[in-house]
Amino acid sequence: MRYAILLMGAPYSHQASHSALRFAHAVLARGHHLEAVFFYHDGVYNAARLAAPPQDEPHLVDAWMAIASEHRVALQVCIAAALRRGLLDEREAARHGKDGVSVEPPFELTGLGQLIDLGTRCDRLITFGP
Amino acid sequence: MLLHVVNRSPATSRVYQQALSGMSSEDRLLLIEDGVQGALPQLVRYYAEVEGRLFALKEDLESRGLLGRCDASVQVVDVDGFVELTEEAERTVSWY
Repeated sequence: MRYAILLMGAPYSHQASHSALRFAHAVLARGHHLEAVFFYHDGVYNAARLAAPPQDEPHLVDAWMAIASEHRVALQVCIAAALRRGLLDEREAARHGKDGVSVEPPFELTGLGQLIDLGTRCDRLITFGP
Repeated sequence: MLLHVVNRSPATSRVYQQALSGMSSEDRLLLIEDGVQGALPQLVRYYAEVEGRLFALKEDLESRGLLGRCDASVQVVDVDGFVELTEEAERTVSWY
């Protein structure tokens, strides 16, 4: 089956990110295709390039990037939720005249249309809220 | 048949009422995160109307030291079982 995950909880504030990550691994282990993880609301902080948690704690940003590279999972970040929280990729940083970039590939800033698309295209869409 | 997922304890949040009111007679309910507290004998009464269709996530019970303390009417599933429940359900609805 084709799965997608919608993640709306901030990392390290709520369990949502850990729950979603654990679920993602289980989906892949059962032989399903995980099409994408869509980060929305405070969930966009999962894409923060500069996140530097203590070394003895799970590194959520790195964990998502590992899933993306090992299983070709798209990491889609709601652009409207990201920009207002200071999460900008190179293009948006340039557009808004900001120094520095806080989102980098494989995370991609996309619109809500992508979420609708996942909802219609995938067999299952599972939401993890705060 | 839909799978409903609740991540709040009935002792601290009333979102379980919304979940229950949104459930049909065949739907299933999975308790995750702090929601697993609802599987304890002291709190399971809130879910009396979905007896036999109530599940709790093993990993979240374990991380809270609650594994083995669930009411006998609750079916404990691990994360693999969570995925299986989503396979069997037409759609999954999360309440938080």
